[in-house]
Order: sequence, then structure tokens, then C-alpha cells
Amino acid sequence: MEKLQRFGYPVFFAVMAVLPHLLNPRWQAVAITFLIFAVVALSQDIVLGKCGMFNMGQALFFGLGAYATAILNSKFGWPMLATIPVAILVPALFGILLAGPIVHLRGDYLLVTTIGFNIVFVQVLQNDLGGLTGGPNGIFGLDAMNLFGLRLASQVSVYYFAFAVLLFTLWLMHNLETSKAGRALHYLREDQLAAESIGINARVYKIFAFGLSAGIAGLAGTVYATQYSAVSPEAFDFIQSVLFFSIVIVGGSSVPGVLLGVFVMFVLPEIFREFATWRFFIFGFAMILAMILRPRGIWPAKFGRIPAYLVKESKHGA
Amino acid sequence: MDIFLQQLANGLTIGSMFALVALGYTMVYGVMRLINFAHGDLVAASAFVGLTIYTQVMGQATSLAAVIAIFLLTAGVMACVGVLLERLAYRPLRTAPRLSAVVSALGASLVIQNGVMLIWGPQMRIFPELVPQVYYTFGGVVISLMQVIILVLSLVLMIALYLFVEKTRMGAAIRAASIDQDAARLMGINVNQIIVLIFVIGSSLGAVGGLFIGLYYRGITFNMGWQYGLYAFIAAIIGGIGNIPGAMLGGMLLGLFNAFIAGYVSSTWADAFTFILLIVILIVRPTGILGERVAEKV
Repeated sequence: MEKLQRFGYPVFFAVMAVLPHLLNPRWQAVAITFLIFAVVALSQDIVLGKCGMFNMGQALFFGLGAYATAILNSKFGWPMLATIPVAILVPALFGILLAGPIVHLRGDYLLVTTIGFNIVFVQVLQNDLGGLTGGPNGIFGLDAMNLFGLRLASQVSVYYFAFAVLLFTLWLMHNLETSKAGRALHYLREDQLAAESIGINARVYKIFAFGLSAGIAGLAGTVYATQYSAVSPEAFDFIQSVLFFSIVIVGGSSVPGVLLGVFVMFVLPEIFREFATWRFFIFGFAMILAMILRPRGIWPAKFGRIPAYLVKESKHGA
Repeated sequence: MDIFLQQLANGLTIGSMFALVALGYTMVYGVMRLINFAHGDLVAASAFVGLTIYTQVMGQATSLAAVIAIFLLTAGVMACVGVLLERLAYRPLRTAPRLSAVVSALGASLVIQNGVMLIWGPQMRIFPELVPQVYYTFGGVVISLMQVIILVLSLVLMIALYLFVEKTRMGAAIRAASIDQDAARLMGINVNQIIVLIFVIGSSLGAVGGLFIGLYYRGITFNMGWQYGLYAFIAAIIGGIGNIPGAMLGGMLLGLFNAFIAGYVSSTWADAFTFILLIVILIVRPTGILGERVAEKV
């Protein structure tokens, strides 16, 4: 698989670079969605896959970013470009604040708590707290992104913006994997007790993972707001979080796995749109089957640069 | 004061439904350490199965015997579905990483939910009126016969389950398997049988809960499972998951909390307050109210 990966990446990037010119507008929109969801799923992978924390509330941070952009643009007249730092920082800050009191929770309790955060978030949006979120209809009519005089009004230009964000995210993920922080997260996931005993501060690194992951998801939120020039609560429902969660696990929490996962979970259903009513029925079976046939995911993650003597066969899994 | 007593009665009714469904979650979690995300959809499905049994098998009869038959048949059908679910979606993954089983459960939830939609259609169906509309008034508080039946029957079922688990040999085997499956196996307990048994019990109780939901709220939709399922799961967690009296207590507390929020604050914020309660409880007591402290296995 490593050889496949070496050839795979350049081919993947090359195809993605020319893709929008080969597609009709409907499939261009699907391709943009693929890019956005890939970024969110990769950010989810930092907490869930790299660190092994059961987070099922990623749509919350995705939504925070999208809403930060939408509110600043529509209510305060900020240019779209200027909202990007806020759309990264606000979710990152929320990620840190929310993670603080809960990172010590055992796996499944953490999972339910993060679902809870997501549901509270959607209710806040729907009830139009502070008159900012636009209630159940959301906010629409956002400006186009203006990149130093270049207006991202056409679908193709939004595509390249989304592609750039994906490349940035992949670069971040690559750096994370080879960095000290990335190794610390690996150790924590494999064996928290051992990791703490060699001096890794579990709490700090876990909160860091949440903050980083939330920031990236927030950036994806900005791209989402740009694509639709609108945001609404149901796009950030916890069912979306459940899907992102499933993508990472079905994919196997490696970068190619997550990309494959997004393709399987978001693009394939688009192809089968004509079988609309049967779609999710078959989809559910496919999820069960995928897990039975490949319990560690379609493309399981390999351990990066962890010394071999520290990697032991994990008995209770992820 | 009247509102208080009225919401107390409503809260206990909703709470006992939550508790019945929560028992299914807590028993499966106790033995398999798996959140059975499909349980909520089983509960939703049982309302539809009950509806079909009422129209197709019972010929729309509402005599006491017919109603009892509807309950028993639905529970039987759902028990079979529960066992099938375990065999197809969970048993192959027993030695796999835990998250794989979680995703399998999510897949199973999609299958059941959309299966219900394919069979009964996406529109809301009206559940039949199996219990006559009789109301009792106690000093300004109106309680329907339905509420009395729901409360009493739930309590009877819960006490029966508690006695079964605490006093019988089978119950002892369930408790043993939930403490340590391997040790239980060494003691000659057939753990596979125990897991099938908890799916039978959990699904039947869930079926009764689903019929109650249909009887109480009347309108049933194919996708209502996630909402009730999540509430029941929260009830199980609040009580301390894996703990049977905990699920009952958690269900009642959650029902009361929900009714009082809806009565005194606002029903549009009810979900948010429920989850804030959950988060606060977990921060203060990370394993629920009646949960024991579990040492992390290394």
C-alpha cells in the first residue's frame, strides 16, 4: 500500500486539479462538497483517529466557523476574507473551552457529551440566540469571497479555494504526523498510562488536539458558507457529526482512508440519487459489511515514526 | 401548584417510557460495552409493527384480550429482530476494535430506520386508540387512564426485571457476564446465550416502550427512533450505564426534568437543557449517579 500511496498522491492531486473543467455544474457542486467534507473529516481524524478520543460533535465546530463567517459578513459587513481568521479562532477557542472539563471522560461518555454539545449548539441556532443566527432559516445572501481583487463568484473558483484549503489541511496533517505533538497523540492513543509515565501531559495534548481539530473544521465552515452563500442549522445537525465519525472509522483513520471514506459516504450516494428511497437502507448494510470485512477500516493507519519497541499489539482496539 | 402536580404526573409517564427503553441500552452496554445505536430505531419500528398487528392480525379489535395480544406479539417480533441484529451486525465484530462495532450499530440503525420507511412509508401514521379515553381529576390535576396504565405496567415490568436479574440463576449469569466475560466463560456460563437473552429482554421491553410512545403521542414517524433512543440512552447514562436500577432512576429523573422544563421554562429549549443537565452530571460524576468507579483496564 505504501507504493500505491507514493503514486497515488500525485495522481490524486493532478486529477483534482483539472477535475472541475471535466464536470457539469451539478457535479462541480458535488466535488466542492467532497473537498469541504474531506477537510472536516480530516480534522475529525485528529481527535478521533490520531488521539483515540470518541468525538461525535465535529459538526459543531464546522458550524461555528460557517456561522462566524456568515454573521460577521451579513450583520457587521466584514469582507468574507477578513472573517477567515475569526472562523478559525472562534471554533478553536470553543474546542479548547469545551474540551477542558470533559477530556478525562471515558470513551463512550465523551461520545455522548460531544453529541450533547452539538445538539445544544443546533438549538441555540434554531432559537436565534441574541438575534444573530437567523433562527431555523439561517442566514443567506452572503457576499462572494474576494481574494485580493479576485472575486470567487463562479463555482470553479470556489472549487479551487476549497482545493487550496484541502491541500493546506493535508500539509498540516503531514506535519502533525511527523511532529512531537503528533507522536505524543499516538502514544496517548496506544496507551495513556505508559504515555503519561514517560512524561507526556495527557490533558494538554488532548485539549490541543481538540483545539486544532476545531480550528480546521471552522475553516471548512467558511468554505461551506462561501459555496452556498448561506448557512442554516440543519447542515450542522449531530447526524452530520455521526456521518463524519463513521467516515473516519470506515476509512481507517489514515489520510487516503479518510478521503476514500468521504468519497464512499458522500459522493457514491449522489451517484445513486435515483434510488433515493433505497439509498440509506443499502448504505446502512454497506456500513455493517465494511466493518465486518475490514474491522480496522478500508485503509488502516500505519504508525508513523513510533519506535518499534513501543508499538505493541493493541488488545482492546481503538 | 396545579401546574407542578400536572407536570409531575406527565413527567412520571414520559419517564417510565424512557426507563423501559433505557433498560435495553443499559443491559447491552453492561455485557458488551457497546452503545446499541439501533435500539432507538427498534423502538420506533415496534410502534409500526404494533400498528400492523392491530389492523392486519387483530382486525382492529380493541378488547382487553386483543390489546394484550398486540403487546405480546409485538414484543415477540421485536425480540426476533433484536436477536437477528445481534447475530448479523454485532457478533462478527466481537473481537474487532470497539469503534468498528459502534459504526456497525450506526449502520444497523440506518437499515432499520429506512426499512421502516420502505415498508410503511415516510409520512406520519396515526396510532390506534387502544385504551378508552377516560380521565380522572384529582384536585385540578387531570390524569388519563392511559397514563395510569403506562406507569403501572412499566413499574411492574421493571420490578420483574429487577427480581429476575437479582434473584434467579440466569440473572446471576447476566451479572457475571457483565463484570467479566472471560471469567464468566471459565465458570461454565454460555456468554453467547447470555447476549442473546439480553437482546431478547431489551428488545421486548423496547417494544413495550415503543407501543407506549405510540399510544401516548399518537403520531408515529419512521425517523422518531433517534430522538427517543437518544433520550433513553441519556437516561441510562445519567443513572450509570450498565446498572439496571440506575436506568430506571435515570429515566424517571429525565422524564420529570423534561416535563418541568417544558412546563416552566420553554419547550423549544427542552433538548438543550436536557443535554446541559447530562453534561453537568457527567462532569461532576463521570460514571453517572449510580455508576461505580471503573478502573481503566490496562
